[in-house]
Amino acid sequence: MAAPFPNATLATPVPPPLPSLINARRLRAQRLGRALRLWVPVGILALILGMCFLLPLVVTLPSSTAGNILYNNEPPFSPGHLLGTDVQGVDFFSMLVYGGQVAFEIGVAVTVIGIVIGGTIGVIGGFATGWLDAVLGRVLDILLAFPALVLALVIAEGLGPSEIHVIYALSFFGIPFVGRFARGATVTIRGLPYITAARLSGTRRWRIIVRHVLPNIMPSIVTISLLGIGITIILEGALDFLGYGIQQPEASWGNMIALGQQVLTAQPEYVLIPSIALLVTVASLNMLGDALRERWGTQ
Amino acid sequence: MALVQQIQPLTGGSGARDRARRITGSPALRMVGRRLLAAIPVLIGVTFMTFAILSLLPNDTAQAILGLNASASAVAALNRSLGLDQPFLERYWHWLDNVLHGNFGTSVQGQSVNHELAIHVPTTLYLVLYALVVSVVLAIIVATLAARKPNGIADRISLAVCMLGLSTAPYVFAFILIIVFAVKLQWFPVLSGPIGGSPVSFFKNLTLPAAALGFGLFATYTRLLRADLVEQMQREDYIVTAKAKGVPPWRVLIKHALRNSMFNLITVVGVNLGGLVGAAAIIETIFQVQGIGNDLLTGISNHDAPLIEGITLVFALVTVLGNLLADLAYAVLDPRIRYGSSIS
Amino acid sequence: MTDALLQVDDLRVTFAVGGREVRAVDGVSFTVDPGRTLAIIGESGSGKTVCCRAILGLLPTGTAIGGSARLRGAELLGLSDAELRRYRGSDIAMVFQDPARSLNPTMRVGLQITEAIRTHRKVDRREAHTQAIELLRLVRMPAAERRFDEYPHQLSGGMRQRVMIAIALACRPKLLVADEATTALDVTTQAQIMELLLDLQTELDMALILISHDMGLAASYSDEVLVMYAGKIVEQAPATRLFGAEGAVRMRYTRALLDAIPHLERPAHAELPVVGGRPPDPTTRLPGCSFAPRCASAADDCLAKAPALLEHAPGHRWACWHPCENGVAS
Repeated sequence: MAAPFPNATLATPVPPPLPSLINARRLRAQRLGRALRLWVPVGILALILGMCFLLPLVVTLPSSTAGNILYNNEPPFSPGHLLGTDVQGVDFFSMLVYGGQVAFEIGVAVTVIGIVIGGTIGVIGGFATGWLDAVLGRVLDILLAFPALVLALVIAEGLGPSEIHVIYALSFFGIPFVGRFARGATVTIRGLPYITAARLSGTRRWRIIVRHVLPNIMPSIVTISLLGIGITIILEGALDFLGYGIQQPEASWGNMIALGQQVLTAQPEYVLIPSIALLVTVASLNMLGDALRERWGTQ
Repeated sequence: MALVQQIQPLTGGSGARDRARRITGSPALRMVGRRLLAAIPVLIGVTFMTFAILSLLPNDTAQAILGLNASASAVAALNRSLGLDQPFLERYWHWLDNVLHGNFGTSVQGQSVNHELAIHVPTTLYLVLYALVVSVVLAIIVATLAARKPNGIADRISLAVCMLGLSTAPYVFAFILIIVFAVKLQWFPVLSGPIGGSPVSFFKNLTLPAAALGFGLFATYTRLLRADLVEQMQREDYIVTAKAKGVPPWRVLIKHALRNSMFNLITVVGVNLGGLVGAAAIIETIFQVQGIGNDLLTGISNHDAPLIEGITLVFALVTVLGNLLADLAYAVLDPRIRYGSSIS
Repeated sequence: MTDALLQVDDLRVTFAVGGREVRAVDGVSFTVDPGRTLAIIGESGSGKTVCCRAILGLLPTGTAIGGSARLRGAELLGLSDAELRRYRGSDIAMVFQDPARSLNPTMRVGLQITEAIRTHRKVDRREAHTQAIELLRLVRMPAAERRFDEYPHQLSGGMRQRVMIAIALACRPKLLVADEATTALDVTTQAQIMELLLDLQTELDMALILISHDMGLAASYSDEVLVMYAGKIVEQAPATRLFGAEGAVRMRYTRALLDAIPHLERPAHAELPVVGGRPPDPTTRLPGCSFAPRCASAADDCLAKAPALLEHAPGHRWACWHPCENGVAS
C-alpha cells in the first residue's frame, strides 16, 4: 500500500450549488392535484348515489310516478317540491332520484354482465390456440360487428318496456365492449416473457390465467368498466328517450328528457336538469376512471 | 453478357413500376383478401343471429300489417302467403338467397326494402362522413396544439373540453345545439329538411346533426392523439435524433411524431365506424334526418322484419368494412407492412 | 488550451425524479482538441451519456445544468433552445446507440438525411438530394441511390448506422459525438463502423468523442481516455499512458475494468475477475469515494473522504487515495 499523497487535499474549490429542482411548493401542488382528481369524482359519485339510494330511505319523497294535476308546472323551490313539478304534477326531484336509481342499477348490471361473460370470452379467446381460438375469435368478431344499438332497440321493443329487458338488451353492447378489451389485454400479456416462462415450466394454462393474467388485467378492466357504466347509462337514456325502455309513468332520466323536449323552447329546465344530472354522473365516472388509470399505470 | 444483365437491376433506380410490383405481390393485398374472406362468416353470423332474435321475440308481422281488428284467419292467410309460417331456418335461407341476388325483400309497408335503402343510405352516409371528417380534422389540430406543451394552457383547456365531450350524451348535446343555434340564434333550422343538391342546403340541414354526433368523436380522438403524441415526444429515440439534427420543435411534432401517431387514430376511427352509424340513428330521429337510422326506428315500431334485417345487414357491413379499412390503411401507409422487411 | 475545440468545465447535471434529486453528472471537466479523439468510458449510470446530451441541450425539461461548456469560446450552457438549434447538427453532431429506434420508421432514409441538410442550409430539394447521395457514398453505403428511397426497416443494422452517420455529417460538423454507436452491432460490423469513423475523422478533420463501456474500443481508437464513475471523472490520461506496454493504470476502477476483459492468453477456465456489486444509488451521496463499497483495496480514508481528481503524473490525472502501482493492483 503506497502512502497517501501529501498533496491530495481538496485543491479545487467547492462549486456553487445548482438551483434546486425540487420546488417543494410545486410538488405539493402536483400531489394535491392528483388527490383532487381522484377524490372529487368519488365524492360526487358518493353524493349522487347517496341521493338516489339512501335519501328515499331517510326522507319520504313525493311519488315519482303520479302527481296531482292541480299542482302541475310548479317552478323550482315551490313548497313541497324542491325542483318543481312537471306537466302532470309529478314531483321533479323525485323523478330525478328514482330515475337515478334506475340508471345506476342498469349501468352496473350491464357492466357486471359484460365483465363476467365478455371478460371470460375475451380472456379465454385471447389465450386459446387452435380450433378454440378460431371459434371464439369468430364469436367475438360477430359480437363486435353487431350494431349494438340496433339490437338493443329491437330487443327492448320486442320484449316490452321494463328494467330487466333493458338490461338484457344493453348486454349486447356491454359484452362485446368488455370482451374486446379483455381479449386485447390478454393477448398483450400473453406475449410477455414471463408468461412464456410459466408455460415452459409446465404450468397449466388455466392456472396461468388465474394467477398471472387476471391480476394483471384487473386494474384496466376496472377503469374500462367505469367508462362502460357511463356509456351504458347514456345508452339507457337513449332507449328511454326513444320510448323503448323505461316508459311512463316510471321515472328515468331519458324519459324526463323526452318529455321535456316538448316544452324545450318555453321551459328548457325540464330538459336541462336531467341532462345535467346525466352529464355530471358520466363525467364523474370518466374522471374517476382517468384518475385510477393515472394511479395504477397506463394500459 | 449474362453477367452484365444480372448486375443491372442492382443499380437501376426505383421507379413507379418497381413500387407497383412490390405492392401487388405484397403482404398487404394478401391480408386484405384474407380479411374479406373472414368477413363473410361474420356477416352471416350477424344476420343469422338477428333473424333468430327477431323470430324469438313476440311480434307478429302479419298482425302489424293488417291491424288489430283483423280476423285470425286473415292473419293466418297473410302469414302463409308471406312465408312467415315456415320454419325459421328455411326463412333465413330464403332471405339469404334473396339478398345474395340483390333483393332485400319487401317491407311491411309494402315498399321494396332495396328502394328504402337506396334512398336513405346516402343521407346517413353524408351525415356520418360530415361528422367524421370535421371531428378528425379538428382533433388533429387541437391535439397537436395541446401536445406542443403538455400540461400547458392549451393542453388543460383541451382536456377539459374533451372530458365534456366524452360525458355528454349526443342527444343531450343535440338539444343544447337546438336551443342555442336553431331557436335563439336561428342560424340553422330545427328540423333537417331535404338535403338536396346544393352545398348550402347540405350544410344548413346537416351541420347541427353532424355537430351533435361529432362532439363525442372529437373528444375521443383528441384524447387519443394527444396521449400518443406526448408519449412519442417523450419516449421515442428518433425524436431525440430529430432534435439533435437541429429540427425546430413544431416540425418535430408534425413531421415525425404526428406521422407515426396517425396509425393509432386511423385504427380507432375504422373500428368505431359501426357504432357511429348506430349512434347516428338517434340523432336522425331528433333532427328528422331522412337516413336509415330514422328508417330503422320506424321499422322497429312497425315490427317490420325485412326492413330491420336489411338495415342490420347494412350496419354490420359498415362495421366490417370499417375494420377492414383500418387494417388496409395500416397496410398501405405503414411502410413496415407495405414493403415488408426486404433486407438486401 | 486556447485553441481547444470544446472546453467543458465543472459540468453538473441534476434531475428531479419522484421528488428526489439525482446527480447524474457531478463536476466533470475535459477538453477536446480539433481533430482528436476522446473516449469516455463508464458503466451505465456513470453519467457519460448525460454529459454530452447536456452540452447540446437534449435532456428532458426539468433538468438543472451548471458549469460551463464552450465551443470555440462560445458558451453553450444557458443558451435558449432556438439558439442551441443552430449548433445542433451543424457544429456538433451526435450518433446514437440503436439505429433501429433512432431513425423514424415511417420516413424514407434519404429524406431523413436531406432534413438534416435543409435545416441548416438553404438548398432546394434537388440539391439536397444530390448532397444526400454524396453523403451515403461517403459512409460507404452500397447502392447509395437506391437506398435513398428505402425505409429503415429495409436496411441491416450496419447500414442503418451508416445512415445515422450520414445524417450527423450532413453539415460537416467539427465535433462528432458517438454515443455507444457500435454497441448494438455485431462485432464485425462494429469494426467496420469504427474504421469508417476514423477515416471520416481524418478526411473531414473532425474531433470525435466516443462514449462507450468498452475499454477495448478506447484502447484501439482513442487518443485520450476519460473514465467516469458515479457522475465523476476518476481517471484521465492519453491512451498510450493507460494501455499497452507503457500503460500504467492507476485507478482501481479502471484496473478492474481492464482485468474484466477476457484475454486469449489467460489460462483456460480461469475465473473472470468481474467487478462485484452495483453502481451507487444516484440519489444518495456518500462522503467518501464512490467506488469504495466495491473496491477490493478500500481503506478507512477511502470511505471517509472523497479523493480529488488531480494530475499526479504529467498528463495523467486520477482520483484515488490508494492507486495501483505500475499498473498492477497491489
